[in-house]
Amino acid sequence: MILNYIKIAFRSLRKNKGYSFLNIFGLAIGITCASLIFLWVEDEMSFNTSFENQDQVYYVPTNQQYEGEWRTFYSTPGPLAQAMKDEIPGVVRATRSSSEERLFTVGENAINRRGRYADADFLKIFSLKFIEGNIEEAFKNPEAIVLTKEIAEQLFGENEKALGKVVKMSNRDNYLVTGVIENLPNNVSFPFDWVAPFERYRDGAEWMTEYGNNFSDTFVKLSGEANFETVDARVRQLIQEKSGSDGGDYAFLHTIKNWHLKSKFEGGKVIGGRIAYVRLFSIIALIILLIACINFMNLSTSRSEKRANEVGVRKAMGSNRSRLMIQFVAEALMMAFIASIVSVLLLLLLLPQFNLLIEKELVLGLTNPLHILVLLSITLVCGVFAGLYPAFYLSSFKPVEVLKGIKVTSGSASFIRKGLVIGQFTVSIVFIISTILVYQQIQHVKNRDLGLDKDQLITMRTNREMVNKYTVIKQDLINTGAVKNIALSNSQLLSGGNNGSGLEWLGGTNTEDVLISFRYVSSDFLETTGMELIEGRGFSESIAKDSTSTLITESFAKLMGEGSAIGKQITRETNYTVIGVVKDFLYGDMYGTSDPVMFFNYHNYARYLYIKTNSEVAASDALSQIETVMKKNNPAFPFEYTFVDKQFDARFKNEQLVGKLSQIFALLAILISCLGLFGLSAYTAEQRRKEIGVRKVLGASVTSIVKLLSKDFLKLVLISIAIAVPIAWLTMSDWLQDFAYRIEINWWIFIIAGFVAILIALATVSFQAIKSAIANPVDSLKTE
Amino acid sequence: MVNTLVKLSNATRAVNSGSKEVILLDGIDMTVKEGEFISLMGPSGSGKSTLLNCIGMLDSFTGGGYTFLGEPVHSMKEKHRSRLYKDYIGFVFQAYHLIDELTVKENIETPLLYKNVKSSERKALVADILDRFNIVGKKDLFPSQLSGGQQQLVGIARALISEPKLILADEPTGNLNSKQGEEIMELFSELNKEGVTILQATHSESNASYGSRIINLLDGKMVSE
Repeated sequence: MILNYIKIAFRSLRKNKGYSFLNIFGLAIGITCASLIFLWVEDEMSFNTSFENQDQVYYVPTNQQYEGEWRTFYSTPGPLAQAMKDEIPGVVRATRSSSEERLFTVGENAINRRGRYADADFLKIFSLKFIEGNIEEAFKNPEAIVLTKEIAEQLFGENEKALGKVVKMSNRDNYLVTGVIENLPNNVSFPFDWVAPFERYRDGAEWMTEYGNNFSDTFVKLSGEANFETVDARVRQLIQEKSGSDGGDYAFLHTIKNWHLKSKFEGGKVIGGRIAYVRLFSIIALIILLIACINFMNLSTSRSEKRANEVGVRKAMGSNRSRLMIQFVAEALMMAFIASIVSVLLLLLLLPQFNLLIEKELVLGLTNPLHILVLLSITLVCGVFAGLYPAFYLSSFKPVEVLKGIKVTSGSASFIRKGLVIGQFTVSIVFIISTILVYQQIQHVKNRDLGLDKDQLITMRTNREMVNKYTVIKQDLINTGAVKNIALSNSQLLSGGNNGSGLEWLGGTNTEDVLISFRYVSSDFLETTGMELIEGRGFSESIAKDSTSTLITESFAKLMGEGSAIGKQITRETNYTVIGVVKDFLYGDMYGTSDPVMFFNYHNYARYLYIKTNSEVAASDALSQIETVMKKNNPAFPFEYTFVDKQFDARFKNEQLVGKLSQIFALLAILISCLGLFGLSAYTAEQRRKEIGVRKVLGASVTSIVKLLSKDFLKLVLISIAIAVPIAWLTMSDWLQDFAYRIEINWWIFIIAGFVAILIALATVSFQAIKSAIANPVDSLKTE
Repeated sequence: MVNTLVKLSNATRAVNSGSKEVILLDGIDMTVKEGEFISLMGPSGSGKSTLLNCIGMLDSFTGGGYTFLGEPVHSMKEKHRSRLYKDYIGFVFQAYHLIDELTVKENIETPLLYKNVKSSERKALVADILDRFNIVGKKDLFPSQLSGGQQQLVGIARALISEPKLILADEPTGNLNSKQGEEIMELFSELNKEGVTILQATHSESNASYGSRIINLLDGKMVSE
């Protein structure tokens, strides 16, 4: 019996190639699309889950209050970790840590890698797997360093023992390799390639032991029996107890499982984060599957007339309804199965591109039972879901009627079909509108006045040698003619960096609770980065001369009250005189407003070098000239650089991802809908063949017939527009709420989207309409 | 002792067309005995097909009594009726109504599938009938590759495969030319001689003459025997 069904299904597939193609292809696209999304979701959900006992591992952020707002920072005071371990029962391990990028040299091999300074507990909290050395001994030696397999191989060569060998960091300090660990998986929020004892971080500076300075990433591990609420409550009190201040900062526990997906804080509480995108895209995956299934149903029921006869015969041969239903569902299942095979092929083809797009390394993992299970369930659910309605509908035919050739009255079916088409187009239009709005929003922010000039600006990480030779390097660079200006800074131009509060000034309001960012820069910083001096003067080249001068941003000047800020004194341990006011510039959150900034003329601890190249020199030429200079003056370090405009673009990764994905989904949704519409219009044209013949005999023109056939579909699309617009408006205004700096939704976007939908629908439908309109009426009338 | 297959007493079939009730069959009284070959005659719309469909249980009478092999069909449960019908009735259509996607062999096999006959047995039965109808060479062809006469031959083979007691044929030669039609009628009378009961609806006097008995219908009423 089953064999018979399969046979018949196969043959009818072969016989109706066009129809089968529409059906299988539509479903395959849907499954492919959903699979891609599910792979992405799986990857997102898997972040930080590769560690043993990950449920017991917590990150410790702090909440700090500024201007009445609680803000959350991923940094804690240095002594907090030890205090938590000592004083809070349930905390079994705790570590300070700080992420740094460092140069490592072994003989000729030199590489820059990010890693962490941390306490010995770090190794155990994350159960690092040692290939060489062991976890107990690794940090016994104060000069120890633990490397991942990858970096060890790069430095010492493959199949070479690294244990016990010496590696030079920053071309200065020697470290002894006491362990080699397995490489970390990609889905870790805090990737690191090396771990070194925290004691050597910044040579154990005094300020790191004080409660007033937040800088350390603290991780803790609770015991299996510990009660989260109890421990968390204690953690929240600890900083105040230790520092003696009240109402100030407090730390709390944040599980590392939530780090990746739920790390957006507002008012000191988690309000979501990437989880929103994970949810959004999961819903989109389901919607796309749904419209692919709708297609399937539509195409299947629209072929009812062709199948009606078979139903009649089978019933006359003694089949009952349930057997017919099984047959049709089996057919749908088979189609779904073929579709899922096609989609696996599509996935193999598309996954590399998709990976490029989303900057991940997703693998299809067909040997992963979970993936197979998901694929099979998608196939089954689609098959059954898509097959059930046609099965109900087709099996309900009465044999007497269909065998006599009485037209199947398709009142309810055609109503449902129309509803399904409206559903599909609604989804498509919502996607079109969202795509436009996401694109607009990204462009809007990208075009915003940054207060600085990110073009032709190159940034490099500095090292001590580079800073020491700064004047020589600067002169050499400018002499090449390819470089206009260079400057040093202690923090990245576009990032947050060093900040603090509690400044005082004469006659001003107390800014105890205003967060100010501090920038230690060289005198050419403003010129190099293109920041605009509104008032006063910049720093002089002599550090000594301007050692108690400061530049402040416009928003800071406003804080200081009426009148020019020039000449006013600001107290931050010592007194600084304001010599200039800089126009506000954007850093940190690209969608928000940035905190006021205070600049100091001091670059000895600079960590970043900024180079403004001459716009008349090609970037590649400029780079090779810069490289020559760097090799000469700073030979121990590899020449590594980044363009600031690239860094800027990277800030929009999330939004750009949403933009790109919604573009793809919009396209796919439209494609699937069009496949359905195409099939449906073919069906209508077929059904009205006789009518068209009669009309033509009576003298109807081709255009009037095309109009006649297209009109009905156009109506459906218009209804879809009416439904889609409010949905799109609501969801997109909600999405935009996340951004402080955002676009207004323009009404013309809806018109464009509607217009596009109509155009696409018309193009799809008119193909069939024209085909049947120019057909010879004699043929269609003869067959009756 | 000859069994009575079908007994109709005052059987009626009416449909509602808009607000009006249209009577398609009006007070039919007839019996079909095993081994008979009856021809139903009458002009278009006289109710021949409706009568066949109702007897064949594809449709049902709206009034009167219908007993099949002594069992009252009119008061029977759907399941029971379906079993009765699968076991004892075979249909032959004017338009053959073969399933396009199935080969000759598979078309013939279909009723057996619905009767849950075992695979080996099905094969044997199908091979038998292919042999008997001389269409072994065509068993793997699809209906569209056959002539009308051949298709109807397959249609009859399909109706016979489950060894029914009664064959209902609705204008079996209606779509065929006269030569093909004659061959089909010859086959019917041969089958009848072998003991199959046949009830055919036809327009043609000559076809009707193959039968042992003619029933004339006009406007849903029996006019004469």
